[in-house]
Amino acid sequence: MEVLFQASVDEVTKLIGLEKRELDILEDADAAANELLVSEFEKYVERKYNPEIPEVLKRHNLMGVPIEEKYGGRGARQLVQALFLERMGQSGMGVITFADVHQCLGSMSIQDWGTEEQKQRYLPRAAKGEAVLAYGLTEPEAGSDPASLKTTYRREGDGFSLSGSKYLISNGSVASNMIVFAYPEVGGGGLTAFLLDTKQKGFKVDMRLEEKIGLFTSDTSMLTLEGAFVSKEDILGQEGKGFSVAYSALLNGRIGIGSGCVGVMEDCLNQVKERVTSRVQHGKEIGKHQLIQKHVAFIESSLEACRWLVYRAAIKKDDSEKDPKSLPLRAEADRLSAVAKYMASRCAFESADRAVQCFGGFGYSIMSPVAKHFLDTRVARIYEGTDEIMELKIASSVLGKGYEAYK
Amino acid sequence: MRLHLDGSTSIDAEKETVFNKLTDVKFIAGTLPDAEDVNIVDPTTLEAKLKVRVAVVTSTLKLRMSIADTEPTSRAKLLAEASGSGSHLTISSTFELTGSRPTTLNWSADAEITGVMAGLGSSILKGFATKKVGEIFAGITKALEAEAA
Repeated sequence: MEVLFQASVDEVTKLIGLEKRELDILEDADAAANELLVSEFEKYVERKYNPEIPEVLKRHNLMGVPIEEKYGGRGARQLVQALFLERMGQSGMGVITFADVHQCLGSMSIQDWGTEEQKQRYLPRAAKGEAVLAYGLTEPEAGSDPASLKTTYRREGDGFSLSGSKYLISNGSVASNMIVFAYPEVGGGGLTAFLLDTKQKGFKVDMRLEEKIGLFTSDTSMLTLEGAFVSKEDILGQEGKGFSVAYSALLNGRIGIGSGCVGVMEDCLNQVKERVTSRVQHGKEIGKHQLIQKHVAFIESSLEACRWLVYRAAIKKDDSEKDPKSLPLRAEADRLSAVAKYMASRCAFESADRAVQCFGGFGYSIMSPVAKHFLDTRVARIYEGTDEIMELKIASSVLGKGYEAYK
Repeated sequence: MRLHLDGSTSIDAEKETVFNKLTDVKFIAGTLPDAEDVNIVDPTTLEAKLKVRVAVVTSTLKLRMSIADTEPTSRAKLLAEASGSGSHLTISSTFELTGSRPTTLNWSADAEITGVMAGLGSSILKGFATKKVGEIFAGITKALEAEAA
């Protein structure tokens, strides 16, 4: 196992305990991350989506890590899912984005909110990698404020037809199925979540968004729905209760992004350590210069602080799942997932910035192993809840409901 | 930056044939992927231009490779130096043969890399080197087994 990841696994095993089958998942994650190294690097430099990501995850039976074993998954609790994503994060946020969307936003939402029939229909395929999932919440005019979504649905025959635009959708053009959120066209009802088959007539990939400043190996697309049909069996959760589905998915997703950012910091630390102990300037390794040591100290401290913040959020989420009716437990999981995502994404971005600095001029090239982290972690401060939304959530969790400034 | 790689492969050919070929610079030259302007300097040394492609970037390196410390029909060393496009590589590799038809080829290589290429970092370089070495040994195995058949 990679050394820093092994240290994480050993520490969690010692302090909390991991079962053999959980350790097996993490061994598989380590092998998959190693296998992705070359293709991730090549595709990143070519600025192309990396189709090897789902293939490698499939080969190592890692497409359904959080899916219950009875549906063909690995049955990982949130803490193990976090460790799995930590290791994958060393490969970069492109890998994390794919896995987080497919698993944390996609599979886990179906597992949490789906009927037994929906679970039987989607989860085994998602676990095998026969289905790839996306999450269609964001729109051109609705990001942090899902209340302003413009996508609508209306009854049609035995189901519903959906119309609208979805924007900045990760896995959007490679997904076979996606969770789509829409309001009723008439009647003023609440937001509803649907499970949409992307082969349905009326679903169109408008464009693959390749003009990003990073995250090149992850697919990001704009999608159009022009009367795309979903049957009445494809409502996820209850009609009009889509906000609950959306928010619970984002809670899972935030722990996922935080975990990936921990992996990024690990890779930054590894790369920086190697660079500053081999690069010689002014007659000595640059790591012997005190100002370079300042960067090393920052990355190491950020990593240590964020690792346990993410684990703590994951443990709290596991507690909440054991007692789903407990609102205080759920609120605590929500608060800690926001804190973990907020801190880990900011620390990963600054760690990547400092890693680029340690690499000097070469760090400014996307051929360097750290430039991608610098470019990619920027989006971790935006997607699945911006820094600002996280700050408002965290502040109101301290001050009380009357201070929910984002509502 | 230092890199270490090792591995083994099974070749369906006589041990003597494998040894003779692996210590024949003409044969070695034929197994180098993307080699141009190959010049056999003497029975143990060759020079060539090597095109190394990493993602979309192609570098041209001047390679000098020699065979040393041969112990027929068991082991030998392959030493190489390559320079170009702001990078310098020194590689020392050893192979050892056991058994015969199939012959097991155990090999190890230590590389020292400086300059631009070193900036890629050992994890990426090791990934690329493993992929490239795999291609080289697949070529060697195919050529030797075709000859032995």
